[in-house]
Amino acid sequence: MIDLFASPSILGLVLLGTALGITVGAIPGLTGTMLIALSLPLTFSMEPVNGLVLLVAMYVGAVSGGLISATLLRMPGTPAAIMTTLDGFPMATSGKPGRALGLGVGASLIGGLISWLALWQLAEPMADLSTKLGPFELFSMVILALAMLAGVGDSTRARGLLAGSLGVLVAMPGMHPASGELRWTFGFTFMNEGFRLIPVLIGMFAIGKILQDLTSKDGKVEQVSGNDSAWIALSVWISNLSNLIRSSAIGTFIGILPGIGANIGSLAAYMAAKRASKKPDKFGNGSEEGIIASEAANNATVGGALIPLISLGIPGSVIGAVLLGALIVHGLQPGPLLFRQNPEAVHAIIGTVLVSNLMMFMIMISCAKWISKLSSIPKKILFPLVTGCCIWGAYALNGMWFDVSVMLLFGIIGWRMEKAKLPLAAFVIGFVLAPIAEENLCAGIMASGGSYLPLLTRPISLCLLITAIALIIWKRKSKETNTNHSPS
Amino acid sequence: MFVRIFQNAIRKNNLCSQPLVIKNIAGAGGTIGSRTARDAEADGHTILCLHDGIYTAQHYGNADWGPADFEPIAATGRSGVVVAVEEDSPYSSLSELMQEANQRPYQLVYGTNLGAPNHYSALFLQKGKPGAKFRFTQTGGGAKRLAQLKGGHIDLTGFSVAEYQQFKDAGIKALASLGEEREPSFPNLPTAKEENIEATHSLIQFWWAPKGTSKDKISYLQNLLKRAMVTDEIKDQFKNLHMEPIVYVGEDLIHAIKQRSKRLQGITLEKPTPMPPLEWIVLIVAGVCVFFAYRENKTV
Repeated sequence: MIDLFASPSILGLVLLGTALGITVGAIPGLTGTMLIALSLPLTFSMEPVNGLVLLVAMYVGAVSGGLISATLLRMPGTPAAIMTTLDGFPMATSGKPGRALGLGVGASLIGGLISWLALWQLAEPMADLSTKLGPFELFSMVILALAMLAGVGDSTRARGLLAGSLGVLVAMPGMHPASGELRWTFGFTFMNEGFRLIPVLIGMFAIGKILQDLTSKDGKVEQVSGNDSAWIALSVWISNLSNLIRSSAIGTFIGILPGIGANIGSLAAYMAAKRASKKPDKFGNGSEEGIIASEAANNATVGGALIPLISLGIPGSVIGAVLLGALIVHGLQPGPLLFRQNPEAVHAIIGTVLVSNLMMFMIMISCAKWISKLSSIPKKILFPLVTGCCIWGAYALNGMWFDVSVMLLFGIIGWRMEKAKLPLAAFVIGFVLAPIAEENLCAGIMASGGSYLPLLTRPISLCLLITAIALIIWKRKSKETNTNHSPS
Repeated sequence: MFVRIFQNAIRKNNLCSQPLVIKNIAGAGGTIGSRTARDAEADGHTILCLHDGIYTAQHYGNADWGPADFEPIAATGRSGVVVAVEEDSPYSSLSELMQEANQRPYQLVYGTNLGAPNHYSALFLQKGKPGAKFRFTQTGGGAKRLAQLKGGHIDLTGFSVAEYQQFKDAGIKALASLGEEREPSFPNLPTAKEENIEATHSLIQFWWAPKGTSKDKISYLQNLLKRAMVTDEIKDQFKNLHMEPIVYVGEDLIHAIKQRSKRLQGITLEKPTPMPPLEWIVLIVAGVCVFFAYRENKTV
């Protein structure tokens, strides 16, 4: 593995892929999936190993880049960075943009390295474990995630739940995730796929934020300023060690599960960190732990998603599926035999995750000073630029103007929701989780012949549900004791 | 993915003066893409490449248009389909398994992508053994079907030959292929017909132009595709994807389309398991939340 990465051309490819990935990751609306799908044909003519190295490096870069715009502009560059906006932006507006970036970049590196270790050492046993999860288990897992959702942001329970259920409702139109029948499309074909994640996301966060800033009456706009260092002292990392390890482990595991990506990984890690934290009220107001959890986990999903891909040929994410296509086009058969038949390809993939994470860290840390200047660009230049990127990104997704209108519509919705103090994060999480929950519940019911009983009779599913209920009860309890202790 | 192979071959061999621009319109089983192509200008510049999904979406009721709303250009490439079970499955042959599906109908869980060609492979199998019934469940794409099969959450499923080639070492086994002949990649695998199940199915990639595209435009495209099919690039990639490099134009093409449409007409869909009306439940929850949030506003 070492001699492979001693070659300057391979290192150049990793550098190129990582840098391109960071760039598309940082631009709201452009995603790593897009970059990799567009680059795939270019790799047809390359040596298989070179092509894989380039694509995997792009994957790592794209997951990492999102934190830049999430932190400085409160616009997640990729879905994976949604949770980073919650704490990264408040910290940046409080005069510490460098520190916020530094924490995100450092946590990304550590998350990436821990999942790389898992990929390197545990690929086979972990891939086997993940197949034990059937539709009922996956449904219960989503319920557990929703139980955690009750604590997003600092709004009241009714508002959080309202925003979450609105998100679920917005996910409903289109093809039923299980039966394949059409629902709430009102006869329009372009509605068959419903509202897509990317237009909704960039609309709510990017366009909504622009509208909010443009219409703020007193002309007071939350401005990121400050010129602090992005270097974070080692002692900070040591005191966050358990958070880092937990978040990376959650991210890696979620990455392994097919169909659930980096956004859910960072969500789950964020929630878990908030539960475990001694200062949960800091979350949402610039918590260091929040940034670390979100960013460690989303980078960890990359290694996780590659585990079933190379050991079983099962992609753990959309990008994983594109990479699977790349392997096949190059005549490589993913699966247990890949380790024996094409060890150099496996080593290239695993090695790239390591090298690319290191390069990502170096690129982002050395540019942090320069990157944080981004937010001092005057709004009259920045806003048209970001709006242009958003429109381009939404259109490029499928070449449909419908997606652009969806994005603008959700810009207005996001802006109004913010005014009504409805948490955007809860909305997006409801939107992302609903189809997964519905598909798995319905698939389970179809497989069981209409019975809901396996939810309770399958041990893993039962455990997950009990944990979810326990979380809700525990939260109520702790809230009660809190109010008892603190007279308000 | 499939079209990108053509793009690459056409560009490398300078077969066309204009570049081939691919617009990948993902989602909803290809219906959004096929609708876009149907409504495009019939100038020969916008064409559609789609597999059997164009037939099944219409039959399943998710699209009120189908092959008849396009001018066929060509069919290029056929993928075989296999039926697979987990390695330790008690069934060692398709006839045994179908016997079981016949004696205990609706017990064997078949993982599919409902409404997609993969679902129809199973419907053809049922038809091939009168009385045999599967219990269908939504599993999704090939990778998800593999994971669910491995984990024992479904009893059987279908894969394209290319998918099976990728997945076979992950601990699954194919019982039969659904071709007329044995698959060249798996000469030891019997066909369903050899097992006395009268079922055949395969995936063909079709190229379509919007209705009203002129004859010479179509024949130009036919020529372009035919010339692309003999390039080394295409030959290599088809081999990697385990696709048979068939080319149908003219009479052969019309015949293939007619035959596929006709076979679907013999399939009747059964009423699926009722789904929980989650959308209405959530609507009610949202309504209740609005009420509480409103009350909160008043008290604050």
